[in-house]
Amino acid sequence: MKVIEKVPNGKLIAMEVQFLQGKVSHMKITGDFFLYPEEQIKQVEDSFLELPVNISDAELSSKLQHALKDAELIGVSIDDLVRLFRKAVSL
Amino acid sequence: MKWRVLPYTEQDAFTNMALDEVLSQNKTPTIRFYGWKPSAVSVGYFQSLESEVNLEQCKTSNVDFIRRRTGGGAVYHDQMGEITYSVIGDLNLFPTGIIDSYKLICGWIVNSLDILGIKAEFKPINDIIVNGKKISGNAQTRRNGVLLQHGTILYSVDVDRMFSLLRVPDEKIKDKLIANVKERVTSVTQQKSVSKDELYNALLKGFTNGKDFELSSFTEEELKCARELVSNRYSQKEWNFMR
Repeated sequence: MKVIEKVPNGKLIAMEVQFLQGKVSHMKITGDFFLYPEEQIKQVEDSFLELPVNISDAELSSKLQHALKDAELIGVSIDDLVRLFRKAVSL
Repeated sequence: MKWRVLPYTEQDAFTNMALDEVLSQNKTPTIRFYGWKPSAVSVGYFQSLESEVNLEQCKTSNVDFIRRRTGGGAVYHDQMGEITYSVIGDLNLFPTGIIDSYKLICGWIVNSLDILGIKAEFKPINDIIVNGKKISGNAQTRRNGVLLQHGTILYSVDVDRMFSLLRVPDEKIKDKLIANVKERVTSVTQQKSVSKDELYNALLKGFTNGKDFELSSFTEEELKCARELVSNRYSQKEWNFMR
């Protein structure tokens, strides 16, 4: 499934996510945001894999912080990613 | 410090992006102006080309499509309707903060438009607006200690053509979206009756004001490297359809 959100005063972010047996089996994040360095998007996407759908916001946020270590995300925030993931899970 | 200035030239999308990459392989402070021949659509590094671009319409209309190395959104680069620039240099030449560095370089565009009597302002994150309407979009990457920022200044705009080449998230609201973009986007010709040459001269002046600079051209070695990048990356499906 795909969820899209335009972050207020920020950028557009889309999350294409698949679940298998209650865990994330596929994650692709697209949008018109900025991330420095750009290649770090792979670590961010990979950090979602195998996560249980009922992971807490705090734990997910902590995993994303780790994946974004030394990187700078512009136009969307970790909170936005967490919120969008929650939206995808609820569909 | 002397800036290298590469005057306006027109190339296809693949060569344009390859040349920006070649220039950012060293730290020589560089300002480049260019156009897109034929017209092209570029998408940001994180965008899906298939989701953002009407590929069939592009092929029918002889419009190139390409993925940039920079983030940001999809842009229609009309051959007649815009001037693109790139600024390259050692990271130390620019503010550390990303928004601050956008502000600095976008300030050169604001100054250029001021020369034409157009009052523009920088709107974070990466836009320049005139009377609340967008006239310039910009995107930046920082790799290996080098900053590359490129962006477009809209000379004239045809929103209907733009949306014949771009996809929208929901076709049902396409008409509304187009009307909305017409309200939110402007161009130099909508603000002042000036030629494209006058815009270019203003940009050249606005970008180089107060700088020691030298007009230059691409070296044979740079052109060779660009050709290699075109064939190895920018014309490749693996790159353009990466996301």
